Amino acid sequence: MIMGDVIVGISDFGCSRKPGDVLVTYALGSCIAVIIYDPVASVGGLLHYMLPDSNLDKKKAAECPAMFADIGIPLLFKSCYALGAEKRRLIVKIAGGASILNDGDYFRIGQKNMTAVRKIFWKNNVMIEAEDTGQNYNRTVRLQIADGRCFIRTSGGMAKEL
Amino acid sequence: MIEKILLSIKQLPAFPATVHKVSELLKNDDYAVADVVSVIKYDQAIAANILKISNSAYFGVRQKIKSIHDAVIYLGQKNLVRALQTASVSRIFAKRTAGYGMKTRELWEHSVAVALMSQILSRRINKKEDTVLYTAALLHDVGKLVMGEFVQESSEKIFALMAAGGYSFLEAEESVIGINHAELGGRIAVYWNFPPEIHDAIAYHHRPDRLLTGETMIPSLVSIADQFCLMMGIDGGMDGLAHRGITDVMKKYGLKETDLEESLLTLFEELEKANELLHIVN
Repeated sequence: MIMGDVIVGISDFGCSRKPGDVLVTYALGSCIAVIIYDPVASVGGLLHYMLPDSNLDKKKAAECPAMFADIGIPLLFKSCYALGAEKRRLIVKIAGGASILNDGDYFRIGQKNMTAVRKIFWKNNVMIEAEDTGQNYNRTVRLQIADGRCFIRTSGGMAKEL
Repeated sequence: MIEKILLSIKQLPAFPATVHKVSELLKNDDYAVADVVSVIKYDQAIAANILKISNSAYFGVRQKIKSIHDAVIYLGQKNLVRALQTASVSRIFAKRTAGYGMKTRELWEHSVAVALMSQILSRRINKKEDTVLYTAALLHDVGKLVMGEFVQESSEKIFALMAAGGYSFLEAEESVIGINHAELGGRIAVYWNFPPEIHDAIAYHHRPDRLLTGETMIPSLVSIADQFCLMMGIDGGMDGLAHRGITDVMKKYGLKETDLEESLLTLFEELEKANELLHIVN
């Protein structure tokens, strides 16, 4: 682990305004990472949610809100506001939502996760600035708090900037 | 290359005889504790591993297990088989390099997660756990342990086929290497004298639809469990999610999306409890 790396696990989120911090989440399969950054306040946040809808299990949702898009995303935004971020300045990116090949009617967790995040952003007038989604590989996401640059590494591939 | 790979199966250590012996003893419901203890104790490495994991919250035993005797008594038949298989398969993993751009530990964690998921699905569909299924799930990627040595040099070609030609990882492996890791794993299980339902489940874990003898659910459940772990990013290998979906298998067992989503929640709860099992391979 590199100094300053803050690991965000599955069903977890992190926010920071420490310039030395890099928020990292590994192995996004069908899960989705929501990456937000306010360049004026230099505040960034990263959420790694697993499923679209918290109605699946209310008890789990209360214990671990970052597991679900519908309650994890608002939590991520609010936590960044608490550190000084403002909605109108936030740059929003998403990554993940991979799927099994030709998966037909079932196994659509990747697509469902993407639909969920798009719906929430559409309702709340949030623009997605950049995304690296779909396909069938795993992704690792890094967000540098110092400058808001965000990098994606795919399994077996090179890192690229999002 | 394929000849070299098949030859290398023969260089694998034999699967510990202890495991097959104990499994035989445990098939009989009124097995004698003393017999089981003495067979396990004979293999010190496995005995030590069993002690390392038997106090895991995953097995849910209230008493503190301090000896193999305690383990045999308190774990009970099914947990004992699971602990024994985990203890012995982990030793095989610990001695090898995984290849496929992943660490052995990551392949092991994936294997344990698939094994736990297989039991969750079995409880949901059949209302009971299944130790044969557990073993098959734990061993499903054993072919990667042997293939790992050979696949590194071919990995660029495999990636190229996946990127350009719409190949699944399995199809790309077959095309570049001549055999896929599932089939190779099946052959290893034959070499280790596992019963047909286990080697079939390993050989067909990405394509249970191709298995013509449909009496057992084991291959399908291993396959679904595997795909779910891949979707949750619990793999770390270069294949990622590049496998063919198995919608028909899901339909066959009447599994709905919510069944699967709930099973995923259970999986993460159980993974938290199964720390000792996950960390036995470093």
